[in-house]
Amino acid sequence: MKKLFLSIVVVTLFVALLPEGVMAQEGLPDPAAIAGQNLRGHTHMFIAYFIAWLLILGWAVSIARRLGKVERALGD
Amino acid sequence: MSNRLRSLGVVLGFLGVLLVLVLHWQVFYWVATERSMGVVQRIFYIHVPAAWVAFMAFGIVALCGAGYLWLKDDRLDQAALSAAEGGMLFTTIVLLTGPLWGKVAWGVWWEWELRLTLTLLLWFIYLGYFLVRKSTENPQKGKRFAAVLGIVGALDIPLIHISVKWFRSLHPEPVVMNPDGPTAPPDMLITLFTGVAAFTCLFFCFFLLRYGLERMRHALVLREAGRPGGPVANGVAS
Repeated sequence: MKKLFLSIVVVTLFVALLPEGVMAQEGLPDPAAIAGQNLRGHTHMFIAYFIAWLLILGWAVSIARRLGKVERALGD
Repeated sequence: MSNRLRSLGVVLGFLGVLLVLVLHWQVFYWVATERSMGVVQRIFYIHVPAAWVAFMAFGIVALCGAGYLWLKDDRLDQAALSAAEGGMLFTTIVLLTGPLWGKVAWGVWWEWELRLTLTLLLWFIYLGYFLVRKSTENPQKGKRFAAVLGIVGALDIPLIHISVKWFRSLHPEPVVMNPDGPTAPPDMLITLFTGVAAFTCLFFCFFLLRYGLERMRHALVLREAGRPGGPVANGVAS
């Protein structure tokens, strides 16, 4: 549980400290509209990445816990 | 778990983590922002690889399920179960990241269009895969039912792929598996392929560890069965 909590904190910090996306393409149709859309887009994007890595990390932790349990049972 | 299986899993895990770091550098620093959708399009680099891994996992479930029905080898059922767990997880990622993208790009969280509906159906089919295993008194029967369900579920995958071509859909046309070749810019394709490689490595790492877990559980059951008062001694072993 402690490991899971630590992993969540690390992932959250990683996501929170990342800079804004690079606007590399020229000739945007409406900068104001795109800027507004991007603000909302950032939140959705970070949540999506957070959910994805949280689920994958959760699966890894779950497998490790079950492996440990069965290994202990086999060791008895 | 055998040392070879564990070592292979660890190597794939390290490779997967390395690729994940490269992917994040590409997604947040390197790749260009898509013009019409903005930054939210960057969800594409985890959404599509998650879908790829989910479909591959369910393909493994179907192949191992067919093999199990034919050969009655428990190892194939254990491999199918391990792949199904990963498939479920990655389909959940697809179903959760998709609406986050859709809300900004389309203005709605969910639309009952064919691709979304079939993907949700796939998730429920594989939920049924786990339920059916537990719902029979005879474990062998449960494994057979699950194998059949795994094969039926995999038939949904080509339908999901072609649904955007055959029917009107909010989803864009395929940008990689297109008959005329990939249509996305090179930097986006490179980032996407990094994502696919990272997710594939992570999936196989966890799949091997999960398979090893099933093998150990099997060994534990056999050992318990050999003890006085165990399932075999009581005549209830399958």
